[in-house]
Amino acid sequence: MSVPALQVDNVSKDFGRIIALRSVNLSVNPGEFVSILGRNGAGKTTLLNIISGVSRPSEGSVLLFGTDPSDHDNKAKLAVISHEMFLYGNLTAVENLEYYAKIYELADATQRIQEVLNDVELTHRRFDLVSTYSRGMTQRLTIARALLHQPALLLLDEPFTGLDQHAIGMLISLLKSQKELGRTIILTTHDLHTAQELSDRYVVIAKHRIVKDGVMAETSPDVLRSEFFSAIGGEDDS
Amino acid sequence: MMRAALAILKKDLRMEFRSKESILAMWIFSLLIFVIFNFTFEVSRLVMLEIAPGLLWVAFVFSGMFGLNQSFALEKENGNLRAMALMPVDGGQIYVGKFLSVTLIMLMFEALIFPIFIIFYDLQLSLEMLKLIPVILAGTIGFTSLGTILSAVAVHTRNQQILLSMLLWPLVSPIIIWSVTLTGMVVSGEVTPAFYPLLLRVGAFDVIFFTLSYMLFDFILED
Repeated sequence: MSVPALQVDNVSKDFGRIIALRSVNLSVNPGEFVSILGRNGAGKTTLLNIISGVSRPSEGSVLLFGTDPSDHDNKAKLAVISHEMFLYGNLTAVENLEYYAKIYELADATQRIQEVLNDVELTHRRFDLVSTYSRGMTQRLTIARALLHQPALLLLDEPFTGLDQHAIGMLISLLKSQKELGRTIILTTHDLHTAQELSDRYVVIAKHRIVKDGVMAETSPDVLRSEFFSAIGGEDDS
Repeated sequence: MMRAALAILKKDLRMEFRSKESILAMWIFSLLIFVIFNFTFEVSRLVMLEIAPGLLWVAFVFSGMFGLNQSFALEKENGNLRAMALMPVDGGQIYVGKFLSVTLIMLMFEALIFPIFIIFYDLQLSLEMLKLIPVILAGTIGFTSLGTILSAVAVHTRNQQILLSMLLWPLVSPIIIWSVTLTGMVVSGEVTPAFYPLLLRVGAFDVIFFTLSYMLFDFILED
């Protein structure tokens, strides 16, 4: 039996008196696409921060590919896409990507940079400063930055926020191609339709716990919607 | 081994040369200090020689504070500090990259402002002045080695500049005071036998601050 790409065991996280996560258990197999659904403040981003090794759980443990998330080998296999761009406005697209290529020790940096810029249709603006880009273009470059080192695990924290329809379509198409390449993908979103289109599995977080873990292929859009709203229905924002 | 540090250094210098934001602001601020003090106090050359080293270091460290604040403010923008925490490299490498960029930018600014200092305070250029090079280097490294890690701590807070000042000044004061003393010896042409042991002391503090910061930087990057 293969090692899970992600194993979250009994993870809780609190920030002083504020509880962010309570006894979360989650196992994700390599190549699986899992959507984490939940309202704002449910703990989705905190869970992704713990999975990525940026934040430590108050209780419980997390393993990525069988080892600690903060291991350098694991970090090299990981990419995060969120509302934060992880880009420098005062550098061009190519300079930003060259910087990350050096950090991730890419052997074929120039070729990879060309490929990812081509994938996100930004080749024509590659020598322009990122500060001159529109929001949609910047988010496309963020996607290029994340895919540059061909990560085995992609963590996406509400990546569709603020994107125009063209960029959303491009991101969905890129995620589908990443899934076909066998990458493990974990997506947090409010958008049930997109989750349904992309995911193999879904989990619903409410009141800082996982309250539902289901297989997308066995769930119709109506059932997903009713399960989601019944799960979060009684939730307050505390 | 230090590829990440060099990548961060190259990126920071590229951005600085493109915008010239830090160096220009630091230079103008220091120029103002020199102008104000030079024209406000009408003192004899002897008194001026006594206060000039202090003024030079006031200009260096106050302008340096701007550089330190700017360095991590850039990383906070667009979540780049979080991107650093996600990188598959030791925090120490990130620290070295940021330390080198802050130090080089500060040394470049010091090289640009020093001739102005010579002119304003009518100092005599001599070979003896070369002794200022290790003094300025050691004082600056002490300031930036500690300032880099404390700036990374302070950037997480809302009152970044105030917190950085509160954390940095008490710790870096000995280095600055000794650097002023050493600069005074060179400027007044009275380099006593106490010069080298004092310079060595500044160097020892540099090594301690740098090593501790290098080892602790991983914890700073965590949430």
